[in-house]
Amino acid sequence: MNQALSSKLIQAVGVASLAASVSASAASQTARSAPAPTATPQLSSSDAAAVAEFMKRVNDYVAIHVDAEKASPKLPVEATPLQIDQTQRSLATRIQSARAGARRGDIFSPEMTAIIRRVLNRVFSGPDGTQLRSSIMDENVEYIALKANQRYPDAYPRTTMPPDVLKALPELPEEMEYRFIGRQLILLDQHAHIIPDFIPDALPGK
Amino acid sequence: MKTLMRLTLPGLVLFLLSSACMTGLSRPSGPATVVSPDSKAEPPIQMPNREGSFKFAVLGDFGTASRWQYELGAQMVKTHKTFPFEIVLMVGDNIYGTERPQDYVTKFEKPYKALLDAKVKFQAALGNHDDPNQRFYKHFNMDGKRYYSFKAPKQNVRLVALESTYPQPEQIAWVEKELKESTEDWKIMFFHHPLYSSGGRHGSDIQLRETLEPLFLQHNVSVVFAGHDHFYERIKPQKGIVHFVAGSGGKLVPGDLDPRSPLTARGVDWDYVFLIGEVFEDQLTFNAISRTGQVVDSGIISRRQPEAKKAESND
Repeated sequence: MNQALSSKLIQAVGVASLAASVSASAASQTARSAPAPTATPQLSSSDAAAVAEFMKRVNDYVAIHVDAEKASPKLPVEATPLQIDQTQRSLATRIQSARAGARRGDIFSPEMTAIIRRVLNRVFSGPDGTQLRSSIMDENVEYIALKANQRYPDAYPRTTMPPDVLKALPELPEEMEYRFIGRQLILLDQHAHIIPDFIPDALPGK
Repeated sequence: MKTLMRLTLPGLVLFLLSSACMTGLSRPSGPATVVSPDSKAEPPIQMPNREGSFKFAVLGDFGTASRWQYELGAQMVKTHKTFPFEIVLMVGDNIYGTERPQDYVTKFEKPYKALLDAKVKFQAALGNHDDPNQRFYKHFNMDGKRYYSFKAPKQNVRLVALESTYPQPEQIAWVEKELKESTEDWKIMFFHHPLYSSGGRHGSDIQLRETLEPLFLQHNVSVVFAGHDHFYERIKPQKGIVHFVAGSGGKLVPGDLDPRSPLTARGVDWDYVFLIGEVFEDQLTFNAISRTGQVVDSGIISRRQPEAKKAESND
C-alpha cells in the first residue's frame, strides 16, 4: 500500500504542490504506486509536510509492530482459538510495552488532526453526508473514553467505514485501519487489537 | 434480466397465486410478501438433490450461544441428513461479544458440531462484530485472508467473500480483478452488509451498493447473500441480480421487516432461518428453512447470461 494520498484528500485539503504529496508517499516504507496525478489540486507545503510526518509516524509504529510480531509466536493460517487469542494478546503486550507512555497525538499530530477534520468536514457536508453518517453510527456508541495504546473494547462492534470515507483518508499499511468509536476516529492495529492513537470529535455534527 | 422463479408442477397453481405478490402485482397495501407464522404458504419447491450438484447452506448473524442458535443449528443438522450440503457460507457476525477461546466453542463449535464432524466446510465472511483475526481460525477456512474467493467443489461456480465493513480501495480493486478473471458460469457473492434490505434497523447499504453493484452487473454476478439485518428476506431481482438477507441465524428482530417495502419478494421476521441451495448447470434451487423446520421460502434462480451471449441469442 501506501498510496499515501488519494486524490480526494488532495482535493479536500487543497492548494499546493504535487511533489509534496509524492514526497508524502515516499515517506512510507511500504509505498505502493499512487494513481496518476493528473490535474489534481495541490497541497499547501505545510499540509504536505503534515501528511508526510503522519505517514512517517505510522510507519514508525508499523516498525514497532513488525518487531513485536517477530518476537511473538507465529500464527498458522489454520489456528485454534487459543492460538489466536494468545498471539493477539502477546503481540499487544509487546507493542504496549514498546510504546509505554504513548499519548494521544503521538501519531496524529495537531496539524494532521486539523487536516483530517477538514477532510471529514468536506466529505460529510457533501450530498451523501447524512447517509455516510448514518452508516458510521449504525451500532456505534455515543461516547466512551479512550486512551492511546489501549485494547479495543471487546464489547463494541467495529463501525462500518463507507468507501467514500476511506477513499478520502490517507491509505494505511495492512496492519492498521481507521474506525470510529462514537465520533472519535481511531487508528486500529487490527492484528494486536489495540488503538495506537485517535482523534476526538472527528466525525462532524452531533 | 429474466431469471428467477420457475417451478415444478406440483406447486404451480398455488405459486401462480402467490407469485402475484412476489412481483408486486397485487395487494397494493398490506404485508403481501412478508410470510406470517400461520400463513398457508404454497407447497415448497423440493430440492432436486441431484448427484453431482453443488449443495450448500447459508447462515448469518448467529454467534450468540443462545438457545435459538442451537435450535437452528439442530435443524441444519437434521436437514443435512437428507440434503448433504458440503459448504456453509457464513455472511458474518460469526461471534458476538467477547472472542475468548471458549466463545469459539459455545458460539460456533458446539452448535454445529455434528456438521463439523461430518466434514462440512464453513466458509466465513467477516461482519462488524467479528475480530479480523477470525481469518486465521481453522474452521472458518479463510486462509488468513479478510476477503477471498474459491471455486465450488462441484459445478461451475465461483464464490467470493468480501469484508464489507472495511471496503478499502485495495479490496474493491481486488474484487473487480477477481470477477473479471473468473471464468465460471456462476458468480456468487457473500458478505455482511446487504446492498438491498427492508430492515428498519439497518436497511440497504446504499454507499456499498454504489461501489459494488456496477462491478456485479458488469461481471455477471447472479446471486448475493448478505446478513446484518436480523431476519430473512429475498429481494425482488435488482437489475437481474437476486439478493438475499440471511441474518437470523442466532439473532432475530421481530417486526423489523417493513411490510410495505417494495423490495421484498419474501420475508420472515418471526423465526430464525437458514438457507440451503443447490446449483446444477444453469439453475440454483433454494429453500429457506426455519428453526421449526418449516420451508418458509423456495424457488429456482436461473443464472445470468453474459452480455455477449445475450446479444448473440438476440441476433
